[in-house]
Amino acid sequence: MFRPTPRASGYFRTTYAADAALVQTRTEKIFLLLFLIALAVLPFAAGPFILDLACQFLLASIGALSLMLLTGYAGQISLGHAGLIAAGAFTTGILARETGAPFWVTLPASALTGIVLGFLFGLPSLRLRGLYLAVSTLALHFIVVYLGGEYETKRGFSTGIVIEPPSFGGIALRDGRAWYFVLLAAAAACLLVCVNLLRSRSGRAWLAIHARETVAEALGIGIARYKLLAFVISSAMTSVAGCLFAYYRGFVSIEAFDLFLSIQYVAMIIIGGMGSLLGAILGAAFVVVFPYLIENAIRLLPNAQRLAGDIFAVNYAAFGVVMILFLLFEPLGLVGIWRRIQNYFLLWPFKQRPLAGGRT
Amino acid sequence: MAELIVEHLSLRFGGLTVLNDICFEVHPGELFALIGPNGAGKTSVLNCISGIYRGNGVIRFRGERIDGLAPHVIAARGLARTFQHGEVFAHMSVLDNLLTGRHTRIRTNPLAEMLFLPSVRRAETEHRQAVERIINMVDLERYRHAQVGSLPFGIQKIVGFARALALDPALVLLDEPSAGLNRQEREDLARYILRAKHELKLPMIWIEHDMQMIADLADRIHVLDYGRTIAEGDPEAVLNDARVRAAYLGRS
Repeated sequence: MFRPTPRASGYFRTTYAADAALVQTRTEKIFLLLFLIALAVLPFAAGPFILDLACQFLLASIGALSLMLLTGYAGQISLGHAGLIAAGAFTTGILARETGAPFWVTLPASALTGIVLGFLFGLPSLRLRGLYLAVSTLALHFIVVYLGGEYETKRGFSTGIVIEPPSFGGIALRDGRAWYFVLLAAAAACLLVCVNLLRSRSGRAWLAIHARETVAEALGIGIARYKLLAFVISSAMTSVAGCLFAYYRGFVSIEAFDLFLSIQYVAMIIIGGMGSLLGAILGAAFVVVFPYLIENAIRLLPNAQRLAGDIFAVNYAAFGVVMILFLLFEPLGLVGIWRRIQNYFLLWPFKQRPLAGGRT
Repeated sequence: MAELIVEHLSLRFGGLTVLNDICFEVHPGELFALIGPNGAGKTSVLNCISGIYRGNGVIRFRGERIDGLAPHVIAARGLARTFQHGEVFAHMSVLDNLLTGRHTRIRTNPLAEMLFLPSVRRAETEHRQAVERIINMVDLERYRHAQVGSLPFGIQKIVGFARALALDPALVLLDEPSAGLNRQEREDLARYILRAKHELKLPMIWIEHDMQMIADLADRIHVLDYGRTIAEGDPEAVLNDARVRAAYLGRS
């Protein structure tokens, strides 16, 4: 899965361990280091708006990565991911509010909620496929949002639950920059977990199930076990994202978790490119930044003042149009475009790769 | 003792009898050919053995009953198979296809895999070595990193065969491995099958339509027609049997 892309010139590994390494050549190491430095410098160079945008993107990318694991790799559709984020956020909100539980209790509790919900809502996947499965996961969304809403009204938090920022050793996490680094670490950990799973036994089992269940089973892969595993891992990570989301906003309310959020997560993996972790990240960035782009574009129009009320509607419509355009013209998503650019420079001055399997 | 014993196997789909009282034994190291005209029920026999279909009757593998077990449990016992149309994983590399075939032999747990602990790293390298031995055996070195979907059909069928071998099987079911291959590819395939037989001492059940290949390679032949056994025995005797000729060529 994570074999390196063929390089322009001869590059050979001499051990199987080196062949399995994630970062291989010196150039790759240098670029990775530069990239990490850029990520570290960003919060000091950027203003509060960009910083907030970066934090939103990091949160979204955790959700997108876990949905990609489930849908793009294991082939199980879920429309309930907003429900799982809500489950994590509400677990955190309720625990923090009712018992004053600290961060290191609410985070594992959210993960546990995700594991339980993932297991329960993974069960239908053993019998249902495609659209039918999607509808059953949709139920997850509505159940969680309903329960959250009931809690809010019964306890009189009809406007939402306010929670204190988490503190590490007595220092409360309020600063945007500190949040950026916490979320960056969480997203990086999530990415690493996905990469590791996909380059080992479980990841291959998921891909096999995605391709042909009967064949996978005849090869000795326990279908039920691996489908549930995919649901459980994906849901746990998404719930953790929900927990972080709750602390980051300092506020939990069911309004934040409407069905449109689930659609947005599905959009992230479609626009980013199915079956690619890089795609999930690119898709998350796109979906987070897109509304702001539309807003700014409308401001540039001559009658901006009169259109201000329609920004929401235009946003939804533009979002739909972009989804359709991607499905029609770039089914491989942003990652498909990225690979084409990569290939262009890799092959330059030639235009085509030599035929696959040709003598080398 | 026989490796695999099929006793009185019958299979019905609604009112249609697909298999009717099939009995046979496969001996250690034997290349056991299963032949018959289209629709005779050959693939159904394999599907019953590997647990995809539930038939009536008893199937014993190395003395233990395997009928009624789930397909993945049967595979884990060491019963590997290939599929008529290849059914390789087109989006995965040759290496990953074979490592997937080795699934039941790899013993890492998902929690360790998440962190890619040293134990996982060691297991991956160790199984990579095992898979490389098979790649070597069926001459797939050139293609190891290639995406299987981009390879010619003939090579894909070899990948399917290699994927079955990757399980370290005790018995292999081959469902028309030569279908759709040209002369050259058939010769290669025959060589790999013989290698598996001689080097790995693997017993195999082999569905085949190429009578020349069958006559040259098979140890014993079992002939099906309309879900019934019509002959079993040495290639020479079976292929000259009047009923077999009638089933294949029609009565004059």
